[in-house]
Amino acid sequence: MATNQFIEKIKNQEIDIVEHTEKLIEESKEINKEYNYLNIISEELALQQADSLKKLIKNKDKSIKNKKLLGIAVSVKDSICVKDVESTAGSRILQGYKPLFDAFAVQRVKEEGGIIIGKTCQDEFGFGGFSVNVGIGCKVPLNPFDKERSCGGSSGGAAGLSQKLDGHIALGESTGGSIVEPASFCGVYGLCPTYGRVSRYGLIDFANSLDKIGPMGKNIEDAALLIGVISGHDAKDSTSLNVKNENYESYLKKPVKGMKIGIIKEAFGSGVEREVEKNVYNGIEELEEEGAKAEEISLELPIKYGIATYYMIATSEASTNLAKLCGMRYGMAEKLEGSFNEYFTKVRSNNFGDEVKRRIIIGTFARMAGYRDAFYLKAMKVRTLMINEYKKAFKKFDALVSPTTSILAPKFSDIGNLTPLQHYMIDLMTVSPNVCGLPHLNVPVGFEKNLPIGMLLTADHLQEGKLIKLGSAVEKGK
Amino acid sequence: MKHFTTDIIIGLEVHAELDTKTKLFCSCPTKGSEEPNTRTCEVCLGMPGSKPVLNKKAVEFALKLCLALNCEISPELIFSRKSYFYPDMAKNYQISQYEIPLGKDGKLRLSSGKEVGITRVHMEEDPASLVHPAGMKESAYALVDYNRSGNPLVEIVTEPELASPDEARDFMKQLISVLNYLEIFDIDSGIIKADANVSIKESGYTRVEIKNVTGFKEIERALVYEVNRQKEESKHNKKIEQETRSWDSERGITFSLRKKETEEDYGYIIDTDLTAVEIDGRWLKEIKKAMPELAQDKVKRFVHSYKIKKEDAGIIAADKELAELFEAAAKEVNPELAARWIRRDVARVLNYHNKKLKESGITAKLLIDLLKMAEQKKITDNTGKMIIEKLFFEPFDVKEYVKKEKLEAVSDISELEKYCKEAIEENPQAVNDYKNGEKKALNFIVGVVMKKTKGKATPKEVNEIISRLIKI
Repeated sequence: MATNQFIEKIKNQEIDIVEHTEKLIEESKEINKEYNYLNIISEELALQQADSLKKLIKNKDKSIKNKKLLGIAVSVKDSICVKDVESTAGSRILQGYKPLFDAFAVQRVKEEGGIIIGKTCQDEFGFGGFSVNVGIGCKVPLNPFDKERSCGGSSGGAAGLSQKLDGHIALGESTGGSIVEPASFCGVYGLCPTYGRVSRYGLIDFANSLDKIGPMGKNIEDAALLIGVISGHDAKDSTSLNVKNENYESYLKKPVKGMKIGIIKEAFGSGVEREVEKNVYNGIEELEEEGAKAEEISLELPIKYGIATYYMIATSEASTNLAKLCGMRYGMAEKLEGSFNEYFTKVRSNNFGDEVKRRIIIGTFARMAGYRDAFYLKAMKVRTLMINEYKKAFKKFDALVSPTTSILAPKFSDIGNLTPLQHYMIDLMTVSPNVCGLPHLNVPVGFEKNLPIGMLLTADHLQEGKLIKLGSAVEKGK
Repeated sequence: MKHFTTDIIIGLEVHAELDTKTKLFCSCPTKGSEEPNTRTCEVCLGMPGSKPVLNKKAVEFALKLCLALNCEISPELIFSRKSYFYPDMAKNYQISQYEIPLGKDGKLRLSSGKEVGITRVHMEEDPASLVHPAGMKESAYALVDYNRSGNPLVEIVTEPELASPDEARDFMKQLISVLNYLEIFDIDSGIIKADANVSIKESGYTRVEIKNVTGFKEIERALVYEVNRQKEESKHNKKIEQETRSWDSERGITFSLRKKETEEDYGYIIDTDLTAVEIDGRWLKEIKKAMPELAQDKVKRFVHSYKIKKEDAGIIAADKELAELFEAAAKEVNPELAARWIRRDVARVLNYHNKKLKESGITAKLLIDLLKMAEQKKITDNTGKMIIEKLFFEPFDVKEYVKKEKLEAVSDISELEKYCKEAIEENPQAVNDYKNGEKKALNFIVGVVMKKTKGKATPKEVNEIISRLIKI
């Protein structure tokens, strides 16, 4: 059932919002037993929300009329704060942290009648691409099409649950590709908006200048619906853009005739699995059939320096963000003994996972006197140059296209054996749009070996509308 | 290496609290409940998910200071994260400024006229306060109070151009005067702290840093101690080490905190949670327009338009309240007279009690009443001084008091002569001594008359009358 039809049925009480919520919670529990997508199922909160909405619906309260997500289940990536619900960003060090406030995006979902069903699992603090770097004591989510394979990451739980649970949309988060990459491995749509389009208030920071909250869903309509709800200026986040909010749904099912698409040359060929390439070309062909014009383009800087730049900026910022986690004010604590330095060290040693420690060390190193100029500050300069190159491309093209990832969802047993080149290629296309704050969308374009393949569309700043238009055209062609 | 021309080299890093209503990055109040951890929110507690939002008023305050110190002002305000682990830090990094401070290359004039270079002025957030229930050394634990966490601070760094502890004290005093004039600092409850770098010629100018000295009187004490310590050690051929020392105000000594082999590495990065704030000409113009006249400008104006002595003007203008008192009085009475009384008597009484004007009973109106009487010679200087001393404790109607206590100056010559004659008759010995050339004897007789008139006569007049009556 399409989401808008569902909302109508909730409004006219054909579907009982409480019963429906109970049903979805039960389904989530069942799915979770098998696939581990949720760290927390917020049953109590969900039923509370459903109850109070039910009263409003029964009383034909005016406020119900325009609620855009009425009765829709929304899951929230663990790094996004939900008031009174444990929010750990997938890390044991934050166990027990129940935020005193809702993230802006969560608050907007609640205002529009969306039901918060739980916190989806992720790589600890977002540090990974396969959701295998989950925090100590957390479970690894399994691919919805093959339980021996990865969901991708870091928003792995969000992607898997979007595929498995109907009537649900997910709030994901991306720093370097964490929305589109798992969306690609799980065969769902993932829209990472322009940096600043969605307030980061309430997001447990990974890298402040890179983090973006965005929607993930089984169809493009749902992604367009949710991005419309969570976008907009927020005075509590200084980096939130003060631009007019758009009606994203108006871009759905609109002609793409005459739109220009740049095929990123470097993203095809060596290092990319042939099945992936073939399906992405199919996707491009579909767009051409709808009247879009495709042409090759070379993106030198983003391809050459994107990953290095990303790691310098992301780890530098992350290493300062994670400093506050020391067992003093919230989260895990250890037995109080020794000096404060000894205590902080104990808390951090015992409760951070290995990948987190690795990135803290890299980030701290990159910020040190004597290295800052060569690493952190240089990375900031390269970012500016990369943005310039993208801007030049967007003078000619409405969107750029490439595979989202170079491989099919890998087997857990193979992740350790990926060649350095494969590793590099997996992130190659997703990292640069993230570093440059550009909106990008994963569009499922086909299946091989019963595994989904995604196409990545990237547009200029604030051009999410174009992405939705193109994504919707591919969906139509399927 | 810089070539130093003085025997003692001192540079200061001063931290002053800006007197805004709310904190630097959240809307928690900077003052109010003293109950620990009640003026806090997710931002100043550094809760995961919270984000800072800049308080523009604090920027305005800091810009005022930069302008008053003649700093070159950065076209953009950029904040950085200064990372270090400490229990008073909510985030284990402090939001501060690094590469590009708000203001640089300024100067501040000391009372001697010497100009001291200001290297930089930047903004930052205050950490929380640590409470050691049984004293710093003895407590097994410390408590943290986040009420102060996130209060706005300005840091003012001087060039190493102060040549003595006395100059350092004067610098602090002048700086406090500027902060007070600008109304950006609460002189009653605001905290002002300094770290000082001090080195002496005898040690080859090895730099020693003294941390955490509160107030301008303390800075002088700490520096006097430290300079003497360094001189003593050098005299005994002990090597002065580059180190950080702490000032123990109670014991009046500095003690070593840590040896400094390398500069601490704070791993500064830009805080990208905050966007760069443009400081455009229009904003600066508005701030400039709203800036009050500063002490040093006031001195010039007082000398020029009221024709008072520069020395008097300097002392009066250094204290904003005294300056306002003077301007009010100068409109009603002769400015020179007003300046003399305020500088000499009002300032003396306040200093003696170590209180500010507004804490005393002396008001502009009452002082003007008093000065008018003095100007018309209705009361003598002695009576005036006595009344000011009395006014300090509580205000009262000065005119009424003079009348009631019969304190009007005796200006009737015949009446004065009567007292003088009495005194001469009662003290024949002194008269004789005077006649025999002992000049001091005259003072004794004048004293007797002053006693008889209860200070209502001027000594000069009495002196003249007696000299006339005892013709040698």
